[in-house]
Amino acid sequence: MLNTGQMNPPENALPNAAQNILDTANQLRWDVGGSAHEKIVEAIYTDAARIADRAVTYPNTPPRFNLDRTIDRLVTSRIWGFPLMILLFTFVFWFTIIGANYPSSFLAWLLLDNVHPLLKEGSAAIGLPWWLDGLLIDGMYLATAWVIAVMLPPMAIFFPLFTLLEDFGYLPRVAFNLDNIFKKSGAHGKQSLSMMMGFGCNAAGVVATRVIDSPRERLIAIITNNFALCNGRWPTQILIATLFIGALVPAYLGGIISALAVVGIAMLGVLLSFVVSWALSRTWLKGEASTFSLELPPYRPPRFWQTVYTSLIDRTIYVLWRAIVFALPAGVVIWLISNVMIGDASIAEHLVNFLNPIGWLLGLNGVILLAYVVAIPANEIVIPTVLMLTVMVTGASQYGAGSGVMFETGSQETMALFHAGGWTLLTAVNLMLFSLLHNPCSTTIYTIYKETGSKRWTTVAALLPLAMGFVVTFVVAQVWRLFAMMG
Amino acid sequence: MITTNERILSEDVLKHIYKCEKNNRRPTMESIAGVLQIKQDEASTLVSKMAAHNLLTLQGDEFHLTEAGQDYALQVIRAHRLWERYLADETGFDEAQWHVQAEQHEHHLTPDEVEALAARLGYPTHDPHGDPIPSASGQYVPHGGQPLTALEPGQYARIVHIEDEPPIVYAQLVAEGLYPDTELRLKEISTERVRFLVGDTEHRLAPIVARNISVLPLSPEEVTEQTNTERLSNLKIGETAQVVRLSPACRGPERRRFMDLGILPGTVITAEMVSPSGDPTAYLIRRSLIGLRKEQADQIHITRDVVKQ
Repeated sequence: MLNTGQMNPPENALPNAAQNILDTANQLRWDVGGSAHEKIVEAIYTDAARIADRAVTYPNTPPRFNLDRTIDRLVTSRIWGFPLMILLFTFVFWFTIIGANYPSSFLAWLLLDNVHPLLKEGSAAIGLPWWLDGLLIDGMYLATAWVIAVMLPPMAIFFPLFTLLEDFGYLPRVAFNLDNIFKKSGAHGKQSLSMMMGFGCNAAGVVATRVIDSPRERLIAIITNNFALCNGRWPTQILIATLFIGALVPAYLGGIISALAVVGIAMLGVLLSFVVSWALSRTWLKGEASTFSLELPPYRPPRFWQTVYTSLIDRTIYVLWRAIVFALPAGVVIWLISNVMIGDASIAEHLVNFLNPIGWLLGLNGVILLAYVVAIPANEIVIPTVLMLTVMVTGASQYGAGSGVMFETGSQETMALFHAGGWTLLTAVNLMLFSLLHNPCSTTIYTIYKETGSKRWTTVAALLPLAMGFVVTFVVAQVWRLFAMMG
Repeated sequence: MITTNERILSEDVLKHIYKCEKNNRRPTMESIAGVLQIKQDEASTLVSKMAAHNLLTLQGDEFHLTEAGQDYALQVIRAHRLWERYLADETGFDEAQWHVQAEQHEHHLTPDEVEALAARLGYPTHDPHGDPIPSASGQYVPHGGQPLTALEPGQYARIVHIEDEPPIVYAQLVAEGLYPDTELRLKEISTERVRFLVGDTEHRLAPIVARNISVLPLSPEEVTEQTNTERLSNLKIGETAQVVRLSPACRGPERRRFMDLGILPGTVITAEMVSPSGDPTAYLIRRSLIGLRKEQADQIHITRDVVKQ
């Protein structure tokens, strides 16, 4: 391994001419010093400036009224900056929720209430064996249809709206306004944007971190994106908060209290993403390179249709397609574990029994844990799976549509079913917490892998929130029971 | 048979003796045991083993490196300094970590890996402390600086090297924001303190600390950074100035990013607006609006002289 003492070229040296060139290059490196790169860039800019001066002419007098700066003064002003931002994003979220309601219920009516029975009739007419009918129609079709009905409309509204703001040039100003808060937790101001995108869909949020060019801050934004409560988890939060938390107070306060509970969970997510960003930047990610710069491009009128089209194709369809790809096998798995019997019970029942003790420790139950395992492709199908599994284990077969067939039902029936399943207020609170703090859906995990190209960071991003969820629900459950015992 | 642990220890011995010879100090069995933190009898067993491998010669209580030993030492030093350069340029680890990590890593890089690292970094000539990196064949040019304490008051100089040992002294120099390539002007030197100016900032150091800084004297014409420079972060909204240079403290990806944005000596910059939360500030640079945080704007040295006219 060692070149023993011979400073002269060894026998297998290059031909003289080549060696001379290498020697000269080596010598030059020493002569020029470390700043060669800088000098070259400087020379390039000088040349470019000279060419630009000759070729480009600017109007002699700059316009007295600079529209860009006027807008900038307003949207980054001390008084108006933050209120404007809150107003704008409240509108975007409100419009998404309200606007998505109608197409969502239409799709549910079409795909779940009409096409599904039609398919069942069709398969009965052609005499499909019961297991194939269940696997294809109750498993694959239903899971996919569910994901599309719940996922597509809000995304088809949220993403184009968001992209329009981006196209107009407003979003970089948001990052500019919020950077100081993110800086304190070791993150980049642009993380505010990927976080907001994460409220729509974490997979899209992870893709949105591409705007962060500093490696460390980008990884932080990717790993913490899951703390933004995504569109697929809002319905779970709203349902559970309405049924359990809202029921604690007089009816006229129920709506506002359950809404506050959901917002509280979302805020807890934001808070945790700051805490986790702070911790990551000081531990695992300490060694990643970090820089900061934030371009504030000129404002321009958004190209409306082009933006709507590309955001539908790039974001909505892209995310939806991945979700479908993962939902298909999940539907199969859900149907199979509910219908394949071992002894006198289905696989699902065995699994629920096995998971029940762990669920109890976490203040949850085996049904919820199993639902989170099999519903990994999309948070949207967690509640339908929970309902179906609860019917199965409680034997409350007046509800639902049979083993392996996911369903949703009116709030009173749902509540009665939850009570039959032994749910308490603790179960509800911990389900809300666990819905915020668990592994990202498989679409997001796959996207994280694609974006980071690293198994290690993908694992961290997947397991960190899950571990936090276990710890938080465990602590809440034990403290809760302690108080219950003393009370 | 040489174990990995023995190899690491003997590489450290080689480095120690090599540095002693460079600095005209005499390595002893005690100093070796001290540096390696092992017992003296362990040190002497190790040294005899190394002598048997023809890495050093033992005459009474004097050690000398053989030519093979010297080459080996230089290769370890090369790996160490390249790794420091890598940490400084391509990662986010801070100054205090460079030396510590390189002390570990220098023993685990194969010659091929060292070569690949050098190629990836563009065959750098100096480590981030200003120490020359020996070439693959073991050649290097010493920095040739003199201690800061040897300057006369009023003299200009450029820092060429900052000693990274002992760590406490190095940490103090880092905290002062002093790096190789920093230009300074000595104001006062006495037995109690050394006072000097870097740009608009005055530094005061104990002479024993200042001795760890090596400088090359500059004639006034060679000085790029006169005393009337200040930091970009001083610029108030609506004010304009011209870049004098990027601080030597700003390295690696950060420096490249600045250059990509066209922040170079001579670039004219106007402060445009401040975030409502107080930081960052947006600057107009070559017709683009760029937000920079305060710590970054601190790295850009500017002057208002040229723009005023």
